[in-house]
This record gives sequence, C-alpha cells and structure tokens, in this order.
Amino acid sequence: ERHRGKRRDGDGEKKKRKKRRRKGAHRAEEGEDEVQTRHERREREKRRRAKNDQEAKGRERDEEERVQTTSGKVAKTKKNIRNENTRRRVEEEEVEVEERLEKRKKKHGSAKKEEKKEDEGKQMVKEKEREVKKKKHKKETSEEEDDKEEDSKDEEMRPECLTPEELEKLKEAVDERKKLIQSLRGKPWPMKKKLVTLRESQEFVEKYEGALGKGKGRKLYAYKVMMTKKWMKFQRDFENFKTACIPWEMKIKEIESHFGSSVASYFIFLRWMYGINMILFGLTFGLVMVPEALMGRPYGSMPRKTVPRSEETSAMDFAVLWDFGGYAQYSVLFYGFYNNQRAIGWLKFRMPLSYFLVGVGTVAYSYMVVIRTMARNANESGVGDDNSFNFSWKMFTSWDYLIGNPETADNKFASITTSFKEAILEEQESHKDDNIHLTRFLRVLANFLVLCCLAGSGYLIYFVVRRSQKFALDGLENHTWWERNEVNMVMSLLGMFCPMLFDVISTLENYHPRVALQWQLGRIFALFLGNLYTFIIALMDEINLKREEEKIVKFNITTWEASLYNGTISENSTAPSITINPADVPRGPCWETMVGQEFVRLIISDTMTTYITLLIGDFLRAVLVRFLNYCWCWDLEAGFPSYSEFDVSGNVLGLIFNQGMIWMGAFYAPCLPALNVLRLHVSMYLQCWAVMCCNVPQERVFKASGSNNFYMAMLLVILFLSTLPAIYTIVTIPPSFDCGPFSGKNRMFDVIHETLESDFPAWFSKVFSYASNPGLVLPFILLMVLAIYYLQSTSKSYRQANVELKKKLQTQNEENKKKNKRAALKAQMDLEEARKAASQAAEEQKNNNASLQGQEDRQLLASRAPGPRTYHHGNHGASGYLPGFSEPRMCRVPSLQRH
Amino acid sequence: MGSRASTLLREEEIEEIKKETGFSHSQITRLYSRFTSLDKGENGTLSREDFQRIPELAINPLGDRIINAFFPEGEDQVNFRGFMRTLAHFRPIEDNEKSKNPTASEPLNSRTNKLLFAFRLYDLDRDDKISRDELLQVLRMMVGVNISDEQLGSIADRTIQEADTNGDNSISFNEFIKVLEKVDVEQKMSIRFLH
Repeated sequence: ERHRGKRRDGDGEKKKRKKRRRKGAHRAEEGEDEVQTRHERREREKRRRAKNDQEAKGRERDEEERVQTTSGKVAKTKKNIRNENTRRRVEEEEVEVEERLEKRKKKHGSAKKEEKKEDEGKQMVKEKEREVKKKKHKKETSEEEDDKEEDSKDEEMRPECLTPEELEKLKEAVDERKKLIQSLRGKPWPMKKKLVTLRESQEFVEKYEGALGKGKGRKLYAYKVMMTKKWMKFQRDFENFKTACIPWEMKIKEIESHFGSSVASYFIFLRWMYGINMILFGLTFGLVMVPEALMGRPYGSMPRKTVPRSEETSAMDFAVLWDFGGYAQYSVLFYGFYNNQRAIGWLKFRMPLSYFLVGVGTVAYSYMVVIRTMARNANESGVGDDNSFNFSWKMFTSWDYLIGNPETADNKFASITTSFKEAILEEQESHKDDNIHLTRFLRVLANFLVLCCLAGSGYLIYFVVRRSQKFALDGLENHTWWERNEVNMVMSLLGMFCPMLFDVISTLENYHPRVALQWQLGRIFALFLGNLYTFIIALMDEINLKREEEKIVKFNITTWEASLYNGTISENSTAPSITINPADVPRGPCWETMVGQEFVRLIISDTMTTYITLLIGDFLRAVLVRFLNYCWCWDLEAGFPSYSEFDVSGNVLGLIFNQGMIWMGAFYAPCLPALNVLRLHVSMYLQCWAVMCCNVPQERVFKASGSNNFYMAMLLVILFLSTLPAIYTIVTIPPSFDCGPFSGKNRMFDVIHETLESDFPAWFSKVFSYASNPGLVLPFILLMVLAIYYLQSTSKSYRQANVELKKKLQTQNEENKKKNKRAALKAQMDLEEARKAASQAAEEQKNNNASLQGQEDRQLLASRAPGPRTYHHGNHGASGYLPGFSEPRMCRVPSLQRH
Repeated sequence: MGSRASTLLREEEIEEIKKETGFSHSQITRLYSRFTSLDKGENGTLSREDFQRIPELAINPLGDRIINAFFPEGEDQVNFRGFMRTLAHFRPIEDNEKSKNPTASEPLNSRTNKLLFAFRLYDLDRDDKISRDELLQVLRMMVGVNISDEQLGSIADRTIQEADTNGDNSISFNEFIKVLEKVDVEQKMSIRFLH
C-alpha cells in the first residue's frame, strides 16, 4: 500500500520534472518562474515540517522536492544549512533514519538479502524508491562522503544560475559519469549494484547534458555543438580539398585503375620530376634571369648583349630563332648575355656570385632530394604489413559502396580486376618452381646475348663518332646528308631497336615481370649511356675548337683596337672618346653559350621526337587498327599490329636522361629548367590522354611498389654522371674573355674568392682559408667516411634482424594454422569413424536381434555388465578412435533396453 | 517533407523504431520521407524495383545481394519497420553506446551484426557458410568477364585457403570474423545518417 503510494508520488514527481525540463528547454525565461516556485515550495515545506507530519509518504516527497529545488543555489553555505536542517529532522524522525540507513547499506552492496525479504512483486516500486532514497541519503551524509559525491551534489543545481566555474564542474562531473558508464562492465560489483549505478548515471548524464544547454549555458552549449559540427564538416572538406590540390591525382588514379600500378608509377615519377623542376626553375628564374633582365644593363649596351652586325639581317628569322640563334642567343636565356659587373642595380645584387651559387645550388638540391626520397622509399618498403589474408581482403572489402557514378563504378571494376590480376601474378610467381637448371642456363644465355648487343652497339657508336670527327676535320660541306647526320641517326636507330631486342631476349629469362622490368631498365640504361658518352665527347671536342678560335680572336682584337686607336687619332685628334656601335665590335666565340645552345637544341629535338612517336606510334596506330579493322582480312585488334602497350621502361629512361641533360646544361643555359617544366607539363597531359585513349593494359599487370627506388637509383647515377662534366668544365676550363658573368677571371669559382675578400671581414676569409686547408679537410672526410660505414653496418644488421623476426612470425602463423587444420581434420575423421561405427553397430545389433533371439539371457547380462559391451566394440575395430565417444553406446542402449 | 512524413508516422511507431534501432527521432522522420519518396507504388512498402532505382545500388556488383538483405526470406515487400531494421546495421557506433546495456541484446549496429550482415551478402544459400561456389558467383559479379574462369577459381581457392581454419573448404562466420579482424568494420560499415 505504502509502496504503491510512493510509486504514484514518484511518477508524479517525474512528470513534473519532465515538464519543467521541457519548459526550460523551450524558454529560458521560464527559469525565473521556477526560482519563484522553488521558493514557494520551500515555504510550503517548512510549514509542513512545522506540522511535523509523521506520514512517510509526504516526507518522502518533501525531501525529494527539496533535493531538486534547493539545489538551485551555488553557495556551499546553503548546503550546510540544509545539512543542519536534515540533521535536525533526523533527530526528529529517528525511526525513519534507521530505516534509511538500513537501505543505504543495502545499496552499498553489503546487505542484498534484505531486499529479498521485501515484497517481490513490487520490485519496480522498490527500485524507484531506492533511487529516491539514494538522493536523500546523499544529502544526509554529505559530510562523510568524499569530494566526488559532493561534486555530484553540486550538479543538482539549476544550470541557469551557474557561474562558469560551476558549469565547468558540472561538465566534469558529466564526463566522469560517462567514464563510469563505460568502465562499469569491468567493475567487480554485484550485478544489481551495477544496474542501479548504470541507470542512475545514465539518467544523470541525460539530464545534465541537456541541462548544460539551458539558460545561460545553453547558448554556449548550442554554440559549441554547432562549432564542433562545423569543424568536422570543415575538416572533411579540407581533406577533400587537399586531395583535389594534389596535381593530377585524379588522372593518375584513373590510369592506375585501368592500367595497374606499374603504369601509374611512371606518372607518379613524372609528377615528382615536375615538382623538382619547378623548384629548379624557381631558383634560376628568380635569382638569375629576372635580376639580370630587370637590373642588368639593357640589350644593345655592350657587345656581349648585342647581335653582331653580320647576323643582324637574319636575327629575327624563325629558323634562326628555332635554333636558338639570333636574338634568342643574345638574351638572358644563355650564359653569354650576362655581364661580369660585380653588383647590379640599386639592390647591389651580386650577379656573378648569384649565378655561380644557383648553379651549384641546383645540383646540390637535386642530390638532396633524390637521396632523401630514396631513403624514405626504403623505409616504407621496410615496414611490410601483414598480408596473410590478402585475397580475402580483396574479396570482401574491395568494393566502395558509396560509389554512385557509373563511370567511377567502371573504374572501380577495372581496378578490382587489375588488383586481382596483380595478386594472382604475385601468387603464381611465388609458387613457381620450374626446372632450375634450364632457367639458369637461359638466363646466362640471355645476359650473354645482351652483352653482345651492348658491346656491338658500343663499338658502332665509337666507330661512327671517330668517322664523324674525321668528317668534321675535312669540313662538313663536302659530305652527304647521311654522313653529316650519321651519329644522330645511328643513336636514334640503336635507341629504337635495341630495347625491342632486349625485350625479346628477356622473355627467355622467365623473370617475374617486376624483376624483368628492372633488368630491361638496366640494359637500356647501359645503351643510353653510350648516347650520353658520345654527346659529351663531341661537345668537348667542340669546346676545344672554340677555345683555339678564341685565342686567335683575342689576338686579332688587340691589333684591331690598336688600328682603330691609330686611325681615329690620325682622322680626328680632337675627339676625346670613340663611340663604336657594340654590334661592330669583334668578339670571341663564347663556348659557354655554344654548350648551352647545344643542350637546348637537344632537349627540343628530344621532346619533339617523343611527341611525334607518341602521335604516330600510339595514336595513329590505334586509329588505323580501330577503323581499318572493319575492312581487313584479319582481326587487327587481336592479331598482329593490335594496340600498343604503354612502355614503362622506355618512358622512364627517357625522362631520366632528359633530366640528366637538364642538370648538365642548366649552368650554361639558365632557361633549361623553364623549358623542361613546360615539356613535362605538356607530356603529362599528352601521355595521360594517349594512355587512356590508345593503349591497352599490359597482359601481365604487376604491382610496381618496389620499382620506385630503382628509378631513383638510376636517377642518382645519371645525376652523378651529368654533374661530372659540368663540374669538370667549371673547374678546369677558363671562362671566355668577353662573355658571361665570369669573363676576365681565370676560373669560374674565383668569384667566391673575390666575394670573400671584398664583401666579408678579413677574419672570415682567414677562417675560410684555414678551414679549406687540406690538413683539416682530409681528416674531416675520413671521419665522415667512418661514420657512413658505421651507420651502414648498423642499419644492415637491423634489417637482418627485422627480416628474421618477420620470418619467424610467419612460420609460427603457418604452424598454428596447420595445427588447427590437422586437429579439425582429425576431429572430422573421428566423427566419421564414429558414425560408421554406429551404423555398423546398429546393423550388427539388428543381426544379433534376428539371429540370437535365443540368447536373451546373455544380452540381458550384457546390458547390465559393461564387459560384453566392450567386447562388441572390439569387433568394430573403431574403439581405439573413440575413447569417450558415446554414439555407438547410445545406439545400443535402447536396443538393449528393448529386450 | 519531413513534417508530412512525420504526420504519416505515428508517434508510438517512432518510439518503437527508436527503441529497436537506436535512430533518433529526427533521423527516423527523415528516413521515412526518404522511404516514401522511394515508394513509387505508394502502398507503404518497397519492392525490389524500388531499390533498384537507387543509382548506388544499381551499379553495385553486389547490389542485388544488398537489396536481398532488406527482404525477409520469401517476401518481396518490405515495410518501413523492416527497412529501418536493415538500415540500423549501418548506424555508426557511438562511444556512449559501447557498454550501454550489458544485459540487453546486442544492438543492430554492433560489430558482430555488421559483420553478419556482410557475411550474409556472400552467403547466398543462407547455410551460414561461404562455399567455393558462392565465392565464385560473387567474384563473377565483381570482375565480370575480365578474368578467366580458371583464374577466378584460383582466387576463390586461395581465399578459402587463407580463411579456412577447420578444413571444411568453406568459410564459416567465425572464420569470416577472424579474416576481417584487422579491418575497421565499425567505421567502414557505417553511414553518416543526418541528424
């Protein structure tokens, strides 16, 4: 009766509370009303207390109301007062207190049995009651309870009149509750207590999380929620934006999905190269070309900046400009245009120094970037992930369920197919074990053939170069077109046909395609080196010729100047100075500009060749195959010409050698990086288009994860090879006397000395000269070598340990799997045996039943004693397998019982 | 639209769905409006054709399987309750939900249930095992005719070989769980339903 009453009460309370909360949520000003009602209630309460109402029901409600309503104030003093009040009341109502204490004990888990004593049917009522009571006794025993409890009491205040500190506390408490809820499962409490705590905490969190949003705190809360949502959305958008910002990412992904990662790796490499060239371009453009163009002397002010009289008529012709002669030659694009004035413009920009440092800086930067990328790639490949479920993952998780665009879906289909193909190939390669001797023999043979090819082409190049030198000495005009262009033609032909030959040879070797690609790359690389070598030799010859010419010109100029001087004196002795048009001044050949021009021409022709082969070899072929197929006698698409595959190795090598040219020539032609950026930009679009439009995926698609570092290694070799001649020319050959930023100096690097002497304090140059003393430099280099050796060996040992550990893990995994499988198989066999045995036994039993009707006594005996039963088992021969298996017995027992 | 939908949807129903699936009130009304917009027959249920009009499902190789998952066995209509029950698998797991009710039955969006949903996509004959044939069928849906049957067979064999631990040449649910142990299923099989 009493409980029910309480329940009703409690329900009423709850409704009220809910209503109030809702109101609060809707209107903030409601809070004030509430404060008023709270006061009223307290008054009422006091009155009631005065009446000293003994009825438990009423008191309970009172207290709960008080719990709710008095909590509005912040001050602890109030709490204290309340506590005093409560204590007073406690004295008044001793009986009640005792009961409550009892229940408190119960709640703390010490006396669960008491609950059982109570009415079982009113479990629900009790629970509610308990909640109420908990709150009550919290008030009563606030002093004994720890800080945490006090905190939770604080939180029962109305949020609208809370200070920020209080809000903070409230938030903390809510968080604490949340944490409690999460960790509840692990607590060593009885289930009931857990349930109670859980419900209570949840209610609390629900209430005050919402309450945080009421009144004054509400705006803040809403604002915060809004901000978090906005922030999350922003982050998401930002991620998208970041992906969109990566240049050509979508294009490359699309290609990857259709052609596999090996083709994509070429484009990624191309993009990387583009990035590097952008930086090189920025350096040369910003620090060399722009300052000279803006602050240097203008065109026509001095001989080196003017087109000579003899060339003036044709200087604007397109053919001349296309060859980078005429006005293009006498511009900031080439070395010769720059003046040797130490400082130019109002900025006092040190032009020659800047020129030298940029030249060194581009090379240094390239080395740094390549090596750093290599190191990073090596790191990435070192951390192998667990791919024991390779296929399963591909199978179950490859589709992206959010794809809604049919084109994207096609791409996804293609990429899934490709990845499956790649995986199959990897798998096949790892399990292949053919005739090892045959493979070995074939591989040796293939390498021998390739070596023959290389040696032959090397000899051919040597022969042709020698011949062309002879022709050059005779004078080119006396020879035919073929003889004049022999070297170039031979090089191109070799470059075209040798890779095909290598390709054919490499089919002998039967390597994994990734390894095969590396071999192929290495071989073509060797071939291209021949190309590079001939080019450099030819250039060196030319430089020597020009220097001879320069000597003659130098001598002539002095005589010319003398004659000019004499002439003017005789003509007009009054004129103080002679003004000669700079175009008329005789000048040296300026070998540096010549070198720069050569490189620029080479790059241009290389680019043209690449594009034209692309258009003819890929596009035209594809068009022909596609449209002639309608009226041809055999199937062109599937048969002989077919569509071309994308030639990864050739393209990569082309890119690498192209870059080598840039590194070699950039010092003499500052425009080279700019040209290269342009070229890479165009070829990115052109090749992307060509691949998607006229190539077919390779038959053996493979994963190219490992080959990236291989490209880098080749790039490093080329970088080294191409900086060698550049450094050699800078260090050993004296610069031209009348052109370029270093004219008049003995060597180009003298500009450093000059700067040190005139721009830095004396002590600095002293320190520098000490530091560059061989006695100091050599030990330093030695130390570095030692450090490199040490680091190298430690890293090697680490790697070994890593590999060992990985292997161990893998074997263990496999062992476990095998063990499981074996156990499972055995269990299955057992089961089968058991079944067989059971059926046999049943049959036997039937037979027995039929034939041995007379032997009922014995069977009865058997049913009682276990002995004969085991004897029967022995008959089946399966008992050894069934130590505890009950199936046969279960079959037998009923049949025995029948008797 | 939302208001119209909510008028069609009774408050008690929303409460029940809320309890069952854990969606919030506004999510339910929003999804209901989506449901009604999908319902071309306007009879309060969705048919397979209704689902196939969704472009994401139409182009998905496993679209049919997913659509199937919405329909109880042997029926070809699904009402809003059933619709919501299936969608509930894709509700993200919230932090405060993880240990909400230790005794209550597992919510529909738990990791296990998400995995079970995925498992059912592959388990065509509902025998709680993914056999080689089922894998082959699914593979064929996923890669079409681009890969030869022989290669598909080898893929299926490899998959089973990787996943199968008890040697019965099929993948049971437990093995499936084991395979996807390291995959962030909670995150991957969740859709951000608007609130």
